[in-house]
Amino acid sequence: MGLQKSSNMKTSKFKEYWQNPRHKQAIIVATAFLTLPLIVYTVFVILPVFQAAYFSLYKWNGLGHLTNFKGVENFVKILTDPIFGMAIKNNFKIVVLSLLFQIPLSLIIALTIARRFKGAVFFRTIFFLPYILSEVIAGTIWSFIYNPQIGIQNTVLSDWIPWLANFQFLGSQDTVFASIFVVLIWKYFGLHMVILIAGLQGIPVELEEAAFIDGVNKWKLNWYIILPLLRPTIMLSLFFSMVGSFQTFDIVWAMGRGDPANGAETMVTYMYKFGFQRFQLGYGSAVAIIIFLITISVSVLYQKLTAEKEL
Amino acid sequence: MVKKILLILSVLAIVTVMIGCGPKEKKDVTVTFWHLDTQDDFKAAWQAQVDEFMALNPHVKIEITVLENEAFKQKVATMMQSGNPPDLFRSWGGGVMNQYAEAGLLRDVTKELKKGGFSDTIGAGPLGVYSYKGKVYGIPYNMGAVGIWYNKKMFADNGLSEFKTWNELIEGCKKLKAAGITPIALGEQDKWPGHFWFGYLAVRIAGGEAIQKAYAREGKFTDAPFVEAFVKLKELVDLGAFQKGFLGATYNDQASLTANRKAAMELMGQWAPSVQEQQTKDKKGLGSDLGFMAFPAVEGGAGDITDVFGGGDGFAFGVNAPDEAIDFMKFLMSKEQYKKLYDSPISFIPTVKGTSEWVQDPNMKAVADATSKAGFYQLYFDQAFPPAVGGAILDAVQGICAGTKTPEEAAGIIQKAWDEEK
Amino acid sequence: MIVGTKKTHKAIQYTLLILLALLTLFPMVLTLMGGFKDLAQLRLDLFGWPDPFLGSNYLDVLHPKRSKFFLSLFNSMLIMSITVMFGIVLSSLAGFALSRMKFPGRDFIFNFFLVGLLFPPAVAILPLYIELKSLHLLDNYFGVIFPQVAFALPMQIMIVRSFFKQIPIELEESATIDGCSPIWFLIFVVVPLSKPVITTISILAMVGSWNSYFLPLLILNSEKLFTLPMGVMSFAGQYTYNWPLVLAYLTLAMVPAVIFYMMAQKHIIEGLTAGSVKG
Repeated sequence: MGLQKSSNMKTSKFKEYWQNPRHKQAIIVATAFLTLPLIVYTVFVILPVFQAAYFSLYKWNGLGHLTNFKGVENFVKILTDPIFGMAIKNNFKIVVLSLLFQIPLSLIIALTIARRFKGAVFFRTIFFLPYILSEVIAGTIWSFIYNPQIGIQNTVLSDWIPWLANFQFLGSQDTVFASIFVVLIWKYFGLHMVILIAGLQGIPVELEEAAFIDGVNKWKLNWYIILPLLRPTIMLSLFFSMVGSFQTFDIVWAMGRGDPANGAETMVTYMYKFGFQRFQLGYGSAVAIIIFLITISVSVLYQKLTAEKEL
Repeated sequence: MVKKILLILSVLAIVTVMIGCGPKEKKDVTVTFWHLDTQDDFKAAWQAQVDEFMALNPHVKIEITVLENEAFKQKVATMMQSGNPPDLFRSWGGGVMNQYAEAGLLRDVTKELKKGGFSDTIGAGPLGVYSYKGKVYGIPYNMGAVGIWYNKKMFADNGLSEFKTWNELIEGCKKLKAAGITPIALGEQDKWPGHFWFGYLAVRIAGGEAIQKAYAREGKFTDAPFVEAFVKLKELVDLGAFQKGFLGATYNDQASLTANRKAAMELMGQWAPSVQEQQTKDKKGLGSDLGFMAFPAVEGGAGDITDVFGGGDGFAFGVNAPDEAIDFMKFLMSKEQYKKLYDSPISFIPTVKGTSEWVQDPNMKAVADATSKAGFYQLYFDQAFPPAVGGAILDAVQGICAGTKTPEEAAGIIQKAWDEEK
Repeated sequence: MIVGTKKTHKAIQYTLLILLALLTLFPMVLTLMGGFKDLAQLRLDLFGWPDPFLGSNYLDVLHPKRSKFFLSLFNSMLIMSITVMFGIVLSSLAGFALSRMKFPGRDFIFNFFLVGLLFPPAVAILPLYIELKSLHLLDNYFGVIFPQVAFALPMQIMIVRSFFKQIPIELEESATIDGCSPIWFLIFVVVPLSKPVITTISILAMVGSWNSYFLPLLILNSEKLFTLPMGVMSFAGQYTYNWPLVLAYLTLAMVPAVIFYMMAQKHIIEGLTAGSVKG
């Protein structure tokens, strides 16, 4: 009874709203404008994600019908698989290491060339260049550089730097991650630099000038004034490297498919190998859902962290 | 008068024939054909076969897709999962193919091949690899054996001859290393080349009986002989017998190293010489310096030196394959066409009966002999088992190569995957 | 004295920056030069000037009989252009409705789009594949284009909406009085005012589409539909033993993006940062 009443109220409210010609027009236009984007988005983004969630509850080789319901078994298996543990660890290592190396490097360059610096455009152009290359091309170029038969190991550098001669690069579980991480820095430090420069340009010049007149030296200025103001931009940079890290696939795939011995496995390469290549589609979908949940948690955390500070 | 009648009759005959032909004109058919021989010369050889067939059958259009081995495997997997297999595609038979057949994704061509006695022209052993539960799903054009391909000159220079036992192999590797030569080339990034080493060691140490028992779940892959196979492989790895950075190298790197005299040997299948040739500038490979030997016996192992680890190449039929796909394969396997393929740069061990005299090259003859006289024949593990188990075997081997897994752990990985497959 | 330290300070800064710039360019330069070498020289002398200086590798890659370079280039461009166009149209429509129209459920719909920001495309790839199959879009340009457009939409809508919001209301009111319907208002008033934001979303979509590998890898089968990144992978897989040839291919595959970048770098950098800073 109550339900009916409320729905009646809703209809009448809607009728009232609809009577207003302005509202009527707004609804018609909105419907006309939104239908196509909504269809494309729902069909190609939302629907498949829900389907993945559904598949994740089954043991399924992707060939026949879904019959073998397993509940959360796939999830338990994934979370107890040491290889998936390595994959997650690698993903977070990328985040932490970019925080420790990549972002500071980009920040130093940004602080150096952001303001009245001769040749700033020249340097910016070069540093940003690797970013525009596709990961596949970047990965293949570096596979060549690391190739033991023809790469840098095979040059005079090996005579000068003794450890280089024995370094395994992509050929060992211990070094493959570091070798790929160098490529990630190379490819993406320019992007972070550019983001940080944009952030810096949002900070009024007068502030700096005033500080200079007061005799504050450059380090102190950067540390106490610029950095705190730049915090939101830095957080943004970090957010990008996080979300980017969780999706890392192409570059790792082009440089040895996450092997040897899973040394450079990431969550997405793991999903691809254990899901697609081994015909365990239910299992692979469960990995996908876990990646999704981790991404969401990190985003929520990020929102919280940035929101608090901005208040 | 007679002339006139004859004329009329002949005109009538021609007209009848023409009318009779008219409605019978065949409908256009497209056959999708996937192979993985990306080398230019190999590609051309397949193209030539297809072109000849299409010239004879104008209503058939064969669309070729060529993908490099690794990409091919990925792609076929997704095609299968979408329920949309190509009509004719490269397959190694065995457990992977069986899984497709089980899911109803392959066309059963048993009847069509029996017609005209075609199936009898092909060796029963090879055809068996492309059959599942008594039904034929594909046709092999090549069936051979994995063995050691070595550089005779390097061996002679270092006073080595063919290895009869595992210990000789180990000693030989030490000798080569001492002489500054990389003993063995291996492209372990691709994983399957390394699994040949484990596979052969398992065949030699555990023997056919133990492997079949483990397969039938009467024994386990964690049993002593399988662990021992990993121990032996580890011995080779620890010795430094493989080239520097072999974990990051591909099969093409492996072939290139051997062909360009940077390594003394590689363990590979019957296609090794032709791939090696493609890796050198003059397309001649090692030429007469290339030798072939069977995998050495392991002291105390249950297996015999005549037991073979290997497999073949063939084409399987997708479930929607039209009859023309079968016609094309029959055409390809007809003696005349098959000989043309044999004379192309693609090297293989023929599966058509009565062609053994074609094999003249001494190395290929050795492979052919090993295959036909095999006491026990084990198909590549990564194809003999379902994909999830095959993948586990490949990972286990790489774990040994990278030194991240003990032999016991490696064996455990395989058994675990096999248990989950029940 | 102070001037002196400042000068040395500058000198150090420049030295370090130039060093870093050289390091950044180093892999690309080696690739470019490697393409002019023969295998023997590449093996012996990685850093040296090509000698003999060979053009044949580059010519081989460009030769339509030996490689499908131009075809891949064309495919990549085609897929990219259509992706960008669809993206502009759809995000402008949605952005307009979500910023300039008041209607019940507006915030819900906007949030519905925003959720998509959190979906890594990889998550949906398998169901997407099955779906595209039932839509008969496998091995078809549109099988790549539609998902690309769809996955880029949330970010694009967010950027476009926030920009459209800033367009003064008065404009619209005067347009309404002139009897201008919303679609004409969007096309003739809003869009021309929004060039910077449209540049931004175009560039984001272009970079994304141009570099994408995972999706086309799964969707496109025929070699004649391969995009440039797929071409790189299949060419490199095919000719690993002939590195100079692969390097020539890599260099040529970099060229279009580098030229475009050099010509439009100001827009590209601003576009990307505007997009990211707003996001």
